[in-house]
Amino acid sequence: MLIIIVIYQLGNQIAQFFQLKVPGNVIGIVILFVLLWMGVIKTEQIEMAAGWLLKHLGFFFIPISVGLMTLGDILVNKGLYILFILMVSAFIGLLAAGKATQSVIMKKEKAEVNYHDHAL
Amino acid sequence: MITLYSVLLTVSVYIFVCFLGKKFSGPFTSPVFLSTAIIIILLLFSNVSYTDYLPAKNIMTYLLGPATVALALPIYKNRDLMIKYMSAALMGLSIGTITTITSAIILAKWLHFSNTIILALTVKSVTVPVATEIGRILKGNISLIAAFVIMTGMIGAMFGPKLLSLLKIHHPFARGLSIGTIAHGIGTAEAVKEGEIQGAVAGAAMGIAAVLTSVIIPYIIPFLI
Repeated sequence: MLIIIVIYQLGNQIAQFFQLKVPGNVIGIVILFVLLWMGVIKTEQIEMAAGWLLKHLGFFFIPISVGLMTLGDILVNKGLYILFILMVSAFIGLLAAGKATQSVIMKKEKAEVNYHDHAL
Repeated sequence: MITLYSVLLTVSVYIFVCFLGKKFSGPFTSPVFLSTAIIIILLLFSNVSYTDYLPAKNIMTYLLGPATVALALPIYKNRDLMIKYMSAALMGLSIGTITTITSAIILAKWLHFSNTIILALTVKSVTVPVATEIGRILKGNISLIAAFVIMTGMIGAMFGPKLLSLLKIHHPFARGLSIGTIAHGIGTAEAVKEGEIQGAVAGAAMGIAAVLTSVIIPYIIPFLI
C-alpha cells in the first residue's frame, strides 16, 4: 500500500514540477507500470493492496458525487434537458467506441486466421 | 462530530448498497449512483450542508489517487493484449471521444444552451482531475463541469454494460475500452467488476482519453462555439 501511495505522490510532484496538463494519478499509472516492467517492483508486492483499492474504486467517487447536492438550482431548472443531452451523447459515444474497437479486432483476428490457413 | 457522522454514514450506506447490489442487480443499484442518492437525501434530512460534509469528503477521497495508480497492475498483467490491440484501441478511443463531444454540442446548440454549458459538456467524459484542470484553463464553470463529469460517469456505469450487450459488443477489450473512454473512473469501477481485462482496458482508456481530450479541446472550441 505504501509503495502505491509513494508513487502517487511522486506522480503529483512531477506533474506540478513540469507544469503538465496531465494529472498526477495518470503519471502515477505510467510510473508504476514502468517499475513493474523493469522488475523493480514485483506484482506480488502490490497485489493485495491494489486488489483491495480497485475492488472499492467506486467508493472513492461517492463523496465527490455528493457534491451534486450543491447544484440543485441549475438541475431543477434545466435538469431534464441536460440529462437528455448527457445520456444521448454518452450512448452515442459508448456505441461508437465499442463498435469501432470490436470491428478492428474482428478484422485483425480474421486476417490472422486466413494467414494460418495459407501457412497450412 | 459532523465529520465522524459523515464518514460513518457514507461507509455504511456504501456497504448496504453493495450488499443490495448482490441481491438485485440493475442500473439503479449501481453503487456510485445509489449510494450518492441515499447519502444526499440523508444529509438533507439531518441538516448537514455540503460545506459541513467537505472535511469528511477530503478524508475519504484521499485514497482515490492511489486507487487510480493501482490500475497499473491490471494494465501490466494484460500488457500483451494492449500491444496486440493497440490499433483497435486508438481507433475506438478517437471515434468515441469525437462522437460523444460533437453529439453533445449539437444537442446543446439545438436546445439553445449557453456557451458556459456547452463548454462544460465538451469535457464531460474526462476523469475529474483532468476535466477541472481543462476547465480552469478555458475559464469554464468548474462546479458545473464536475457535475457533468460525474453524471456522465454514472450514466456510463449504470447503462453502459447493458447497452453494449444489447448492441452485441461482447469482446471484453472493446467493452472495457468503450466504458473507460466515455465514463472515465466511475465507469472503470464498474468495468473492474465485470472482469480483469475490462477493468485494465477501461483504466488505460480513461487515461488516454483524458490526454486526447485535453489536447484537442482548445483547438475545436473556437469552431464549435
